[in-house]
Amino acid sequence: MTDPKRALAAGLVLTLSLSACMGGTGDSGKDAAAGYDPNATVELTWWTGQTEVAEATAEKLAAEYHALHPNVTIKTSPGASVADELLTKLSAGFAGGTYPDISYAFGSWAGDLAASGKAQDLTEFVNTPEFKWTEIPEAARQTATVDGKVVAVPALVDNLALIYNKELFDKAGLAYPTDQWSWDDFRNAAKKLTDPATNTYGTAYSVSGSEDTTWHLWPLLWQQGGKILDGNTPAFASPQGVAALETLRVMAVDDKSMYLDQTDEKYLPLFNSGRVGMVISGPWALLELKEAGIAYDVTALPGFNGDHQTVSGPDLWVLLDHQDPNRAGAARDFIAWMTSAETDAKWNLALGNLPLRSTEAHSPEFAAYTKEWPGSQKFFDNLANAKQARPTVSGYAQLSRNVGDAIAKVLQGAATSQEALDEAAKKSAGLVG
Amino acid sequence: MALTFAVSPRAASKARRPGPRGSALRRHLTGWAFAGPATLLVVGLSLFPAGWAFVISQAKWNGIAPATMVGWRNYEQLAQDPDMLAASGHTLLLTVLFVPSSIVLGILLAVALNQRIRLIGFYRTCIFVPYVASAAATGILAGFVFNPQFGAVNEVFRHLGIPAQQFLESPSQALYIVCLIALWGQVGFTTVVYLAALQDIPRELVEAATVDGAGKFRVFRHVTLPELRPVTVFTAVWQTITAMQLFDLIYTTTRGGPLNSTQTIVYYIYELAFQTQRLGYGAAAAYVLFAVTLLLTLVVIWYSRRRGAEVF
Repeated sequence: MTDPKRALAAGLVLTLSLSACMGGTGDSGKDAAAGYDPNATVELTWWTGQTEVAEATAEKLAAEYHALHPNVTIKTSPGASVADELLTKLSAGFAGGTYPDISYAFGSWAGDLAASGKAQDLTEFVNTPEFKWTEIPEAARQTATVDGKVVAVPALVDNLALIYNKELFDKAGLAYPTDQWSWDDFRNAAKKLTDPATNTYGTAYSVSGSEDTTWHLWPLLWQQGGKILDGNTPAFASPQGVAALETLRVMAVDDKSMYLDQTDEKYLPLFNSGRVGMVISGPWALLELKEAGIAYDVTALPGFNGDHQTVSGPDLWVLLDHQDPNRAGAARDFIAWMTSAETDAKWNLALGNLPLRSTEAHSPEFAAYTKEWPGSQKFFDNLANAKQARPTVSGYAQLSRNVGDAIAKVLQGAATSQEALDEAAKKSAGLVG
Repeated sequence: MALTFAVSPRAASKARRPGPRGSALRRHLTGWAFAGPATLLVVGLSLFPAGWAFVISQAKWNGIAPATMVGWRNYEQLAQDPDMLAASGHTLLLTVLFVPSSIVLGILLAVALNQRIRLIGFYRTCIFVPYVASAAATGILAGFVFNPQFGAVNEVFRHLGIPAQQFLESPSQALYIVCLIALWGQVGFTTVVYLAALQDIPRELVEAATVDGAGKFRVFRHVTLPELRPVTVFTAVWQTITAMQLFDLIYTTTRGGPLNSTQTIVYYIYELAFQTQRLGYGAAAAYVLFAVTLLLTLVVIWYSRRRGAEVF
């Protein structure tokens, strides 16, 4: 039928044009918003990553901004059915050349998004005095910064703290946890709260191997003085890492005081139904806690040697460059307004999230928020304990998966801490960077 | 199983007067007008993505940052990847358990449903319904049934005095339970295929054997089973592909856990490409799976042709 040589040539052309789709645009070094005219008429696309109530609030705020700046129209949509899917949507958008001006993003994507060359360099912009960059918690600012370049603006801050069921503590005749607790105190309490007869566990841990499994270990590692990465080399298989993982292992394997959740979805409902005495979780748990009507309270994480630092998982607004200074500039102005103390009170605080800026602590909205959500004050105070951030490097997702698998193995008694962490470090070497 | 309608040779050989060049062009255009839309569909939806996936399999790419071409390195790494090896082992075990069981069960059920009894249509429907139900729904339901704390199966076990099991939460049991759920869902398919095949067996053969004094079992062994052989080649290939491609059930029941004990190759590819964003490496794994499936299918067809049963 067809000349085979011609078919081969056509195939080659196709292949070459395909490889072109996989390239990124290089960094031009020019400011994306240079020569921006604030009065130009622009239309921005905003992927909020939100659903239901939060999405409705976002649309209301976009309309409010349009009323203040009639020349800026903001097309608002969730962007994907769940926020997890946004990265896939963005990657497809980059390949097809249709991506939004502003998108929600998880902190762990920062490294990849920076490497795409499509994220605006915001370093100068956020360091202008009007932006008040330093009001945002340190760990969130670190997450938005890749190789010294600010590539996003934090959208949401949170952290892990200890949530406990007061009723179960009363029943077992134990004193409530305090901010000064050590991990030994935690272990002892977990052991005493555990009662096989009633299917009650002292504490719980996810062994799905996902990021939820992994990031619960990082505070213990940091408290021990360990590090996740040393440069681009995995450093978590250190004596500090082993000590951190051993702390969890003795509860799961020796004491059997830890409920092991094969999914990420069961341990909070079990806590809410009074089957688990203590969980380590974040402010997002407050909504369901309130609905469950359980008597609970919140303290800082237990510590080693008085170090009670925690981990924060900030989410980001990433601003994408379309080679149009007016759009780039308008997107910056919108996000500056969105993350200002005044607007954030109508956004994060109204939705039950922690305030983005420290100055909001004095606002009447914050007072209403802490009253509405018991324990939220402690989560806010605990932001000060979030001293380190997860690495913002490309390849973190794979490293996290390897460490998650290692933790799952150890807690289910299938490997020793040293073996499992060594294996994870070996598998992760060369993936990061 | 596909039917093709070929143009009869007479139509093609009909002598034509050699016309001017324009009519040849018109004939070409007419031909392409018929074949064009389908060709575009096949190229656009099958060949193009397959070609692109092959290019990606030669790259280190996370979908966001620029890709670096690495040649065959992804494939070399796959050969030494312990997770890939484990996933292959799980897939193999699943296939070895699933394919023969679904065939044997299918034949048994088909024979049972081939009787002239009352309400036979109802029974046949009952067996086929799970096959029509989506695997996602099956998986979620099975999650309830096999729940270690509150599931129905452990409830039954308690009454029988058997200790409660962990099922999908135990690394040593999960894969077998997944296989069981898959069988429940898929056996309706083999049953229907065998039911049709049973009804195709010429009545004279069975009658002749009976007249010659063969009992029911002998008729089954020496007449029915050999007659089912061509269909069995088809079901074997089909069910092997089903087992090797099993994804939705695993996604809704165990997500590859506990301790990755139900992580099959397809699930591992999903993990690589969409959870950890290693698109190049995932594409390479997908190509390896494609090659293995193709090879297996060819071997089965070659073997069956040698045995004289032509099905494909």
